[in-house]
Amino acid sequence: MRNLSGKSRWLVFGLFAIGLALLPFLIDASMGRSWVRLLDLALLYVMLALGLNIVVGYAGLLDLGYVAFYALGAYVYAWLASPHFGLHLPFWAILPLGALLAGAFGVLLGAPTLRLRGDYLAIVTLGFGEIVRIFMNNLNAPFNLTNGPQGINLIDPVTIGGASLSQTQTWLGVTFNGVHLTYYLFLLATLAVVFVSMRLENSRIGRAWVAIREDEIAAAASGINTRNLKLLAFAMGATFGGLAGGLFASFQGFISPESFNLMESIMILCMIVLGGMGHIPGVIFGALVLTLLPEALRYTGDWQRAILGEVVIEPSDLRMLLFGFALVAVMLYRPAGLIPSSRRRAELADEAP
Amino acid sequence: MSLLAVNGVNKSFGGLQALTDISLSVNAGEIYGLIGPNGAGKTTLFNALTGLYSIDSGDIRLREARLADLPPHHILKLGLARTFQNIRLFAEMTALENVLVGRHARTRSGVIGAVLRLAPTRREEADSTERAHALLARVGIAQHADRVAKHLSYGDQRRLEIARALASEPEVLALDEPAAGMNPGERVALAALLRTLRDDGLTLLLIEHDVKLVMGLCDRLAVLDYGVKIFEGTPEAASRDPKVIAAYLGDETV
Repeated sequence: MRNLSGKSRWLVFGLFAIGLALLPFLIDASMGRSWVRLLDLALLYVMLALGLNIVVGYAGLLDLGYVAFYALGAYVYAWLASPHFGLHLPFWAILPLGALLAGAFGVLLGAPTLRLRGDYLAIVTLGFGEIVRIFMNNLNAPFNLTNGPQGINLIDPVTIGGASLSQTQTWLGVTFNGVHLTYYLFLLATLAVVFVSMRLENSRIGRAWVAIREDEIAAAASGINTRNLKLLAFAMGATFGGLAGGLFASFQGFISPESFNLMESIMILCMIVLGGMGHIPGVIFGALVLTLLPEALRYTGDWQRAILGEVVIEPSDLRMLLFGFALVAVMLYRPAGLIPSSRRRAELADEAP
Repeated sequence: MSLLAVNGVNKSFGGLQALTDISLSVNAGEIYGLIGPNGAGKTTLFNALTGLYSIDSGDIRLREARLADLPPHHILKLGLARTFQNIRLFAEMTALENVLVGRHARTRSGVIGAVLRLAPTRREEADSTERAHALLARVGIAQHADRVAKHLSYGDQRRLEIARALASEPEVLALDEPAAGMNPGERVALAALLRTLRDDGLTLLLIEHDVKLVMGLCDRLAVLDYGVKIFEGTPEAASRDPKVIAAYLGDETV
């Protein structure tokens, strides 16, 4: 990309944009509607992974409770746009509010952890993640805030200009299914998150985060206020998480604490590590692979029938086993991730004689 | 009046008294050496000066500003920068990026400026990059600007640390064994660099084990032994002082 001249760069960019715009239709036609829905979910995970990437990938703060901010964004959306409290605010008001509130909670949960590093930080953040989930599970009494384990139902879908994104709409003779429209909304949000990540990466702030990751004492001695910059990393990461949470609530129409367990945090962390920590294309790729691969492995039953004539091992049993093998294999053969940063590649080239 | 004044500083770790009633005064524009046997408390004093350790009692002032109990980033901003004995670069960042991090205290752009790439941010970035390239050239590693710090040679890593410290536009630069691990040729180049820095008005505080380098370079020096200052004065006087000879130089002739 970098070597291309201005004109061909725009051409590549244009083709890429057209490809992204047509993608849901291509997938719908070739693989079915359920895969478009998965694509929507995958975009949510791209946002989450990029958010956590700021905390873990750039600032080097191992956060195992990231899903708490996702939950917070989702609950804020549910409280303000569902019959639970009888409020039905528009999405463009709730999404930023949820994101900001999650960001504020990022600072709040980050503050007590500032002195902690590595394993200790991981354990404390893990605790915070669980605390938030357990709160959501139990805050149905004395005042019914979260409706407990039953969760909140009938959450309003995103509505733009009177058109609900949960229903089929026809514009200019083209029929858009709900999942297609959701795709475009999520794509816009994802592109915004990617854009902010890219701009931050090559900035004074981004460099300060990486400096903290590399050597906190040297960073402080180089004039970086490590406390404020760590809190900023927590806040930025949490903001992305809150945004994704709000979109998730509007998309599903139903949320419960079960969606926000520790496994989610770990999966998001896996996406970053597997894709290439601190490298935006790697993180995006990791999120897509880890969302789509487990679903693709559901088809192992069909493959068995095609090859062996019968289903020897239940796909549901085989699926997570193969998934686990894939994770182990990637970490063994590509320890820096599937798409490591050019810097890491340059290092490998540097080491060659 | 002295630029950096250390007054009656005490620091202990548990039962170990690492610094006992240390007082120094460093004048503007001089190269001030800090020598002493291993474990004499030189690095401890550096850490106390730069805010990595808090001191038990005493006073540290840079001009009028009190440094004791300030966080490290604040001390740097007041004009006291340092390098480390066991090189502490940002290993995965390029040489240029390392120096850019050193600009942090003298720049201001935040998240909004970075995301929207506002005009002040762009100007600041361009200015910082230009200064960083100039500093890399000044310490003699301009050709390595885009190399990852950990792949530079040992001597070049030391120079890069100096460039990073200089990026913060300090008044006083504290160097903790800058010549350690350098070959004789590199040492000569380093001494020349330090002299030009002094000639440009920078005040240098230097911990060094290489006696020849210290004697040739320093305008004044202090000798520490077991956390106590046993001498302060010119290198020539130090080499004649019986206490210094006994404690540090032993029977070596200088």
